[in-house]
Amino acid sequence: MGISSHNRKRVSLGIVLVLINMTSGIAHADALANIISNGKIRVSIDPAAQPYSSVDETGKYAGSEVEIAAKLAKDWNVALELIPTSPANRIPYLVTNRSDIVISTLSITDERKKVIDFSKPYSAIQIVVGAPKTDNISKLEDLVGKQVAVTRGSTNDAEITKVAIPGTNIVRFEDDATSITALLSGQASYYVTAPALLTTVNKKNPSTEIEPKIVLKTNVTGVGVKKGETALQDKLNQWINASITDGSLNAIYKRHFSIDLPPEVTDAK
Amino acid sequence: MTYEFDFGAVLGYWPLLLQGTLTTLRLTLFSTVFGILIGAFCALVKTGGPQWARTIVGLYVEFIRNTPLLIQSYFLIFGIASMGLRLPILVGATIALTVNIGAYTTEIVRAGIESIHRGQLEAAECLGLSKVQTYLHIIIRPALERVYPALASQYVLLMLASSILSSVGVEELFGMSNRIQSDTFRNFEVFVVLGILYLILAVVVRAGFSLLGLALFPRRRKLGTSL
Repeated sequence: MGISSHNRKRVSLGIVLVLINMTSGIAHADALANIISNGKIRVSIDPAAQPYSSVDETGKYAGSEVEIAAKLAKDWNVALELIPTSPANRIPYLVTNRSDIVISTLSITDERKKVIDFSKPYSAIQIVVGAPKTDNISKLEDLVGKQVAVTRGSTNDAEITKVAIPGTNIVRFEDDATSITALLSGQASYYVTAPALLTTVNKKNPSTEIEPKIVLKTNVTGVGVKKGETALQDKLNQWINASITDGSLNAIYKRHFSIDLPPEVTDAK
Repeated sequence: MTYEFDFGAVLGYWPLLLQGTLTTLRLTLFSTVFGILIGAFCALVKTGGPQWARTIVGLYVEFIRNTPLLIQSYFLIFGIASMGLRLPILVGATIALTVNIGAYTTEIVRAGIESIHRGQLEAAECLGLSKVQTYLHIIIRPALERVYPALASQYVLLMLASSILSSVGVEELFGMSNRIQSDTFRNFEVFVVLGILYLILAVVVRAGFSLLGLALFPRRRKLGTSL
């Protein structure tokens, strides 16, 4: 009984997949041609990923990813339609043709490459050591003997624990808010986190000027496209190359995260 | 679906657990010593000091006993730091625990002092004991002996309550186990191990207190009776 229902499920899943392939194959032979002919590009974006992308009280989108999507639409001379998605939905939306591309803090991973294609990196999500602007630190050795705050159990915690030089006092707090309190009160000298969070802290406490000082890790993010859409992928790559060369992608990144785009992005092939 | 226990994954982290246990013990030891000193002093002030001093001690005791330890430690650790005095977290935590336990000790010792019969003080005066001698031998020691079981309980409670300090960044036993949890996702196992460790610690602290009691109160050691 158990086996037969299993089999049936597998058969029907196969049929659905074939159908999806057929319909998408017929209706969207070339996603790029469709975008041009519709005069509109549909971009998946996460409305709850401040400061990358977020929606304010009036329903207006803002954030670095939103600016990148807007620039893309402007450069290609098409209208921009933002499709709100949750992080888990980003790839399914793309695969089922509800959006043309994903610009939503999508790190390029081998796992994901099995399901979708990526453009070359256009931005990055980093783990950095943040410190007050006036503090001159540039390497891990500078952290020895200092209190470095991090939120317990986060990927940031795992990273600093791995790379810290013996003698660095890693102080772990229960949540981001307490880590930030430790930094702002002076209990801890430095804070390991994403540059994005530092931006938010500075915005909420205008008297603090905390900057990313040491980069611990860089995950590059790419624009997600449906598998096999090589024309769209090539055109995206050309656009990213042009936008890196003219400095506009770097300008967006720097305005939001007070740090230049890492070489992993600017030097990527 | 049944949960499969895997203690090996957790016990592999024994160096962290040991370090956490030692930190908890150290926190408890220091705050016990300083807490008893503060408590005994404040109790003396509260029973025999001038009115203004009694008021101050009374405010301290009531404020501490009626606010959560977490808030007190938050203010002591981050508050002191923001005034420009950067103490190591462990020192801040010890201060917070000491301030906290000092208030409870004050009340317990005060009860002990008030249980000393006036006749004892009059007898001491008749025998020509000095004020210091009277305080040490007629008031404080018998008072402590009377409330000793209550004090011991309070200090075991303190040891258990120190787990709260993990949320202000202290890497004591509970904080360490949080790290193990986020590494292994084996919360059940971690909490079982943690429960056993705290139980052992409590037994150790209680045993320490009863040994100390035998050393401090020879009367009890020699006669085997309580006051």
